[in-house]
Amino acid sequence: MSIIGEIIISVLLVGAGFFGLVGSFGLLKLDQPMTRLHAPTKATTLGVGGVLIASMLFFLFFAEGITFHELMITLFLFVTAPVVAHFIAKAHLHRNWKPEDLPSPEGSTRWSTYCEPDQPGSGKPDSTEP
Amino acid sequence: MSLALIAALPFLGALLPGIMIRAGRNTCALATGSVTALALIGLLLHAPAVLQGEVIQTQITWMPLLGLNANFFLDGLGLLFAGLILGIGLLIITYARFYLAKSDPMGQFYTYLLLFQGAMVGIVLSDNILLLLIFWELTSLSSFLLIGYWRHLPEGRQGARMALAVTGMGGLALIGGMLILGHIVGSYELTVILENRELIQQSDLYAPALLLILLGAFTKSAQFPFHFWLPHAMAAPTPVSAYLHSATMVKAGLFLMARLWPVLSGTDLWFWLVAGAGLITMVMGAVIALFKDDLKGLLAFSTVSHLGLITMLLGIGTDVAAVVAVFHIINHATFKAALFMTAGIIDHEAHTRDIKRLGGLRTLMPVTFVLATVASLSMAGIPPLNGFLSKEMMLEQAADVGFFFGLMVTIGAMFSVAYSLRYIVHVFLGPKRDDYPAKPHDPGFGMWVSPALLVVLVVLIGLFPNTIVGPLVATTGGAVIGSTDLPYYSLALWHGFNIALLMSVAAVALGYLVLRFHPLFEELWNDARRPEAKEIFDALIDLCARGADRVTNLLHDGAMTRYLAIFTASAVLFGFAAFMGGTHGSGTRETLPMSVVPIIGWLLIITATIVTLMVHRNRLLSLVMVAVIGLIISIGFAYLSAPDLALTQLSVEVVTVILLLLALHYLPKETPVESTPGRRIRDGAIAGFAGLGVTGLLYAIMTRDHDTISWFHLEQSYPGGGGTNVVNVILVDFRGFDTFGEIIVLGVAALGIYAIIDAALRGPASRRLANFKPDFRRAGDRHPMMMVVATRVILPVALTVGVFIFLRGHNEPGGGFIAGLVVSIALLMQYMASGFTWAQKRQRFDYHAIIAAGIIIAALTGVGSWFYDAPFLSSAFDYYTIPPLSEFELASAIAFDVGVFLTVVGSVMLALAELSRIGRHTSVSVNKDAMDIDPRADTPAAKVEGH
Repeated sequence: MSIIGEIIISVLLVGAGFFGLVGSFGLLKLDQPMTRLHAPTKATTLGVGGVLIASMLFFLFFAEGITFHELMITLFLFVTAPVVAHFIAKAHLHRNWKPEDLPSPEGSTRWSTYCEPDQPGSGKPDSTEP
Repeated sequence: MSLALIAALPFLGALLPGIMIRAGRNTCALATGSVTALALIGLLLHAPAVLQGEVIQTQITWMPLLGLNANFFLDGLGLLFAGLILGIGLLIITYARFYLAKSDPMGQFYTYLLLFQGAMVGIVLSDNILLLLIFWELTSLSSFLLIGYWRHLPEGRQGARMALAVTGMGGLALIGGMLILGHIVGSYELTVILENRELIQQSDLYAPALLLILLGAFTKSAQFPFHFWLPHAMAAPTPVSAYLHSATMVKAGLFLMARLWPVLSGTDLWFWLVAGAGLITMVMGAVIALFKDDLKGLLAFSTVSHLGLITMLLGIGTDVAAVVAVFHIINHATFKAALFMTAGIIDHEAHTRDIKRLGGLRTLMPVTFVLATVASLSMAGIPPLNGFLSKEMMLEQAADVGFFFGLMVTIGAMFSVAYSLRYIVHVFLGPKRDDYPAKPHDPGFGMWVSPALLVVLVVLIGLFPNTIVGPLVATTGGAVIGSTDLPYYSLALWHGFNIALLMSVAAVALGYLVLRFHPLFEELWNDARRPEAKEIFDALIDLCARGADRVTNLLHDGAMTRYLAIFTASAVLFGFAAFMGGTHGSGTRETLPMSVVPIIGWLLIITATIVTLMVHRNRLLSLVMVAVIGLIISIGFAYLSAPDLALTQLSVEVVTVILLLLALHYLPKETPVESTPGRRIRDGAIAGFAGLGVTGLLYAIMTRDHDTISWFHLEQSYPGGGGTNVVNVILVDFRGFDTFGEIIVLGVAALGIYAIIDAALRGPASRRLANFKPDFRRAGDRHPMMMVVATRVILPVALTVGVFIFLRGHNEPGGGFIAGLVVSIALLMQYMASGFTWAQKRQRFDYHAIIAAGIIIAALTGVGSWFYDAPFLSSAFDYYTIPPLSEFELASAIAFDVGVFLTVVGSVMLALAELSRIGRHTSVSVNKDAMDIDPRADTPAAKVEGH
């Protein structure tokens, strides 16, 4: 039993380390901010997730029993990571792109981040400065 | 009644008028009057014993190590003064009720008046000179409020400032003098000091002590050359002038001289200083008074003159003169307070106090005429009134000193007669005029009853001096000269033909002649070039202010860089000087090997610091770098096994960065280049040296073994404080008082933010804000659904974490402070996600109230321990078992921690609320909905509302 557990945990840790490395490498390698945004997601989901599962199994097999700390960490990661990514993308679009250089979203709508907050429904996207 | 209670009553009562004014002006005056009456009754209950020669004492130990105790004692002198203060106070309260106009805030007036009364009673009853000094300063402060009561009048404000400057300066000198006196004797108790005459007069420090004490007394009692503030203080409402400037405050200086008379008087220095200043003041005041056209100005200078007279008597230094001084204090208080009140009546009814515009009021205001005439004649020293008695005795004493003294005093008395008669002749006699600003008539009973009572006293004391005030004068005189063995004196109208009678007759006759030829003298007076005291004072103050400005601007011109540079450079210099001045050996403790993790943290923090320096003109970026430094520090705390500190640092960092970001929104995002390369090199050098110095210090401390008190905290934490988390036990128990102070500071800081922004939003900043244009193009969808949903999901979790951290704080890392920050962050997130307006609508408690509740809960917890005879903030704990639960601990410290928690939450949220107020002042729109794009809405278009 213990040897099987050790193997599973080891595999998870090595896999997690691999994805962490890939994520970090991607962060350096990719040149566009929008594509770069993809790299750390591997590190947070697969990388950190692997470590957390390994930690849960470790405590299950070799220590006092099942623990929930890791589940909490997972929950917080799942909640915060998308919000952070959303804001990074939003800030990037807002500061570095013009609406006309982007493909339009489906239907008659505009990208929400280009709406002028002070003049609702003015109909045309604002394009004064990047 | 305990003496301490008598002194405390007016202070406690000062709370009443502000509340009672809501029930009407009569109720307010009645409440105020009953406070004073109660104190007066308490005092009079002691009177029989004191008149028998007993000394009543009340002793309360306050700060024995400093020699500061709330000790009070009541002897004849104290009884006389306390009686004057409370008795005349009662009359003034009655008078003021009818004097003040409907538009004057009466509650405020009575509050100030009671504060002043308490301070005065405190002075005259104090046994401890340090306590006396405290009350002395309180009279200066409360009289400032009273003189400046009509704050819309520039004269009122200037007069109040001048009085505060002069008497405050004297108060500082007095502190020095009293401390020297206490040092000579080795005790701060008056009763002890008064028994050490020989010791004091033979000390080398006698002269400086005397000079400083006299400086205090002379400024308070308006003696030359500090006489000028009193006439300017006449801008106060008349009740104030009658109370402060005739009967009480200006007599505080006299009281002090009389109190210390047994130990300070009798030397040549005392004679020349006190009798000299008194004589000059007496003559000069009398001369100036004659040429004042303002009724209150005339009375003010006559008061200056009479105070000089009493000072001179005290200065002569013989026992008889001191007794005469006491007698004249009584007489002067009665007739002068009455005169001030009649002046107030004339001002009130005729709408002018200018003698040149008055005259012929005899038939129009018969009651006032009678009162003013009797009081004036007493002031002039006409028999059979009380002023005559003491003036005769004074003339005799002065004549005994020498011819010159006698002559000068007669001249002073002559002018005194002249101005007293002028008050009658030029105001009441003469033809009736038809150009009064208002139609003068006698006031109602309420207004003239107070002066009338005093005038009755004037007559009665004059006719039956021994019956009315004989015992009081004897006891008080005994207290002043410090022995029961009184010299021979006789209080009587007729002493036979003697030199004093001759001088008196001459003064009256000449005084009458001077008044006859008043127009002639006035012309001469007006043509003469006289130094104007106010101009000199203003020039002096101006000079001081400019000098202070120059020095301040040199060190602290409002530029942060300037005073940081000065501060750091001097710290480096002093540290260096201290280092060079001592010996130094290197530390003996073995250094620890370096490990990888600290090196990584160390490199990170250095990198972040260097990057901050490089990007500091871009404020947003430098803020990010500062946050990085903060995070590494909190990791450092965690690494060094200080989880409490790490948690606190982390949450403080988050709150700080969020609030700074919000504030930065309204500021330029770039710092302009202001410094020259030379200055940058200079600042770099200073910073470098300071950094190296601190490094050296830390290295020196860490390489040495030293004793700390940590072992005590570690040992006592559980048995003494009932908690295993030592940090938390220190915060809420061992050093609970520190924490209490700190949360007050925190609350005050938050209220400070409120005050600053509240004021800024009214001034020109408000107009600039209205035209505020954001630096960046503003984004749409400011409140994205993703963020809104995430924060809503997190909120209950975060609040639970807050409660958890709070509850376990006493035994494991956590506590009220951290919990407060965690909850604040959770709430901040709601505000960020959905905007302030939306979140504010769901906020039910006022942040000010939350801060206040926090501090009150903490204070009540502390006070609670008093009921168990324990000192403030002692904590108690015990273990309880409620059947289904396991045994748990309840500590009183947890209630204190609730207070900390609430204050932290309130302060952080108030800061946020204020920042958002700035935002709402701009023309930028605010949202009303939780999110900008609501998927439930039919149209997926941006749904944003304007104002």
